[in-house]
Amino acid sequence: MSDAIRAEHLGKFFRRVSPGERLRTLKSALLERRRARPREGEAIAALEDVSFSVAKGEAFGVIGGNGSGKSTLLKVVAGILSPTSGSLEVAGRVAALIELGAGFHPEISGRENVFINGAILGLSRKEIAERYERIVEFSGLADFMEEPVKNYSSGMYVRLGFAVAIHTDPDILLVDEVLAVGDEAFAHRCLARIEEFLAAGRTLLLVSHSLALVEQYCDRVLWLDRGRARLIGPPRRVTDAYRQAVAEAEGEAHRQQQEEPLAEATRWGSQVAEIEAVRLQVGGEERYYLASGEPVTFELEVRAHEALADFVFGIALHTPRGVECWGTNTDLAGFVPERLEGSARIRLSCPSLRLAPGEYLVDAAVHSREGAPYDYRKGVIRFSVTAQDRGVGLYFPEHAWGADGGVRWRKPSA
Amino acid sequence: MLTTFRHILRSRSLLATLTVRELKARYRGSVLGFFWSLVNPLLLLGVYSFVFGMAFRPARGSAAEPYALFLICGLFPWIWVASSLNEGVVSLATHSGLIRKAAFPAELLPLVAVLGNGAHFLLALPILGAALAVGRALGYAVGGLSCLLLPVVVLLELALLSGLALGLAALYVHFKDLKDIVANLLTLFFFLTPILYSLEAIPVRALSLVVRVNPVTPFILAYQQLLFYGQLPGVTVWLQMLGAALAACALGGWVFHRLRDTLVEAV
Repeated sequence: MSDAIRAEHLGKFFRRVSPGERLRTLKSALLERRRARPREGEAIAALEDVSFSVAKGEAFGVIGGNGSGKSTLLKVVAGILSPTSGSLEVAGRVAALIELGAGFHPEISGRENVFINGAILGLSRKEIAERYERIVEFSGLADFMEEPVKNYSSGMYVRLGFAVAIHTDPDILLVDEVLAVGDEAFAHRCLARIEEFLAAGRTLLLVSHSLALVEQYCDRVLWLDRGRARLIGPPRRVTDAYRQAVAEAEGEAHRQQQEEPLAEATRWGSQVAEIEAVRLQVGGEERYYLASGEPVTFELEVRAHEALADFVFGIALHTPRGVECWGTNTDLAGFVPERLEGSARIRLSCPSLRLAPGEYLVDAAVHSREGAPYDYRKGVIRFSVTAQDRGVGLYFPEHAWGADGGVRWRKPSA
Repeated sequence: MLTTFRHILRSRSLLATLTVRELKARYRGSVLGFFWSLVNPLLLLGVYSFVFGMAFRPARGSAAEPYALFLICGLFPWIWVASSLNEGVVSLATHSGLIRKAAFPAELLPLVAVLGNGAHFLLALPILGAALAVGRALGYAVGGLSCLLLPVVVLLELALLSGLALGLAALYVHFKDLKDIVANLLTLFFFLTPILYSLEAIPVRALSLVVRVNPVTPFILAYQQLLFYGQLPGVTVWLQMLGAALAACALGGWVFHRLRDTLVEAV
């Protein structure tokens, strides 16, 4: 199978140009034999040394955070931007669903705009005329075609733009998040159309923040991280690695948060015994993110300022919105206090914490058996939980779907 | 430079579509539609005829009589020059959405400005023709068979304006002062082009020289020769027009080609 897109060591720099330098840039663009590579500090690398190839008929996904270069990559492949370095070969007719309805003129009718937009996307007048009926039907805007486009809602605008673009009959379709606009019904129609397109052996390059969408449609996925290709591979492997990295980054943010002093309102009690620190251990190391089902240990560091014979330690988990998930204490577990003095460490271990993906806050407390608080620390730490698939609620048991009989899915889950 | 013009040639049907879009959009929703495009030239014509033909009559030589007819032959082509360049210089910036969001041949945009205003010029030609017919009926020796060469001059002017608009539009993306510079230069050049007066009527030699080197001058002279005097322009005028048109295309095409890769980012 031959390649539809082949990118080798692709790089794209944007110049950071102050107004005073503009004339110098202009002069160099006009007169220098080759465009000078921007000097250090002058350039922003949107793409750096990105290599990949997409086979004909393949659905290829691109994921990454904001500013990772996804859109730049798409624009380079679409031929809108030219790469600063490296080489790019694109075989076949490309349609880019980047900004739909580019070139729509607000003052003139939807019908005329279909023809103009089609011409901009490279169709001849005859080709557009042949497809006109299908375009209108797909957009669902038959009653509005004689209206000037300025009277369209933004959803209608995008629907007409998508309808034209998808009917240009491209060999390679570039899609950038456009499915996020428009209503649910239209989004389904677009996806159905993209499936037809793939079934016909065409090539898809899909840029999306929706990892589920990428997992569902793509054969391979490229993860861009600050302009560099971090991983290319089967969708599940890449999206999992991406999720993990995002969670790690969030965990790092949590850890920094832990170090900040807590506000008074979230802590109360007589302070005869004090909770000096609360830590979360996941699989033996201190961290504040975990995959659902990993073993965790909550550790309290406690100091008693006088010897106590009546004490209970408690841990409770709740969501940032205050929904309680779970709480327990040493009294409920049947421990009868005898003596607490000096410093001590108390651990609560869960061999498998099966929380649903999301954010959680931890309350830790030491109080008397009757409930008089010595030190109650609300939301003392927070952590995040990730999981392979999504679900609603708080609980995330091990699970698997199965089926027999007259049911079939498009793709078995990887 | 040739690449630029090759791109243009390849997408000529898109160019036509866009020009028609521009014309349609401009007059959509106005009652008199494209007649507005005639109001401004006629207004200018009336004002200049009144000021220089009646209110005070400077010595301009008898060559420019009847004055209103002389004026119209130079004024209409000039309005094409001025409006094309004023619109052309900002054309890439105005339609930045197109070149940033679609793989679109950017060189078409300055040309749309030139062609759109060229269409206005052509639509105003019947007025010019009617005026010449009235002049002949009144016994003046204006017009005649020489008018048949008009398309050649129009094409040469089209080439001149296309080249200038291409270069200016690409430069403007990097250098925003250009818009104001162009607007002011056009005002200045209006008076440095023999539109209100005939070339022979300039009393100062140095000034006459400046007017002669103005690249628009041979075009206006050619229009006046063909339409007003009913004569064929001399070889020098033809060569000057050809030279100016080729130079503008070469320079404009080259500038555009050099800056092409920077346009999408800078616009």
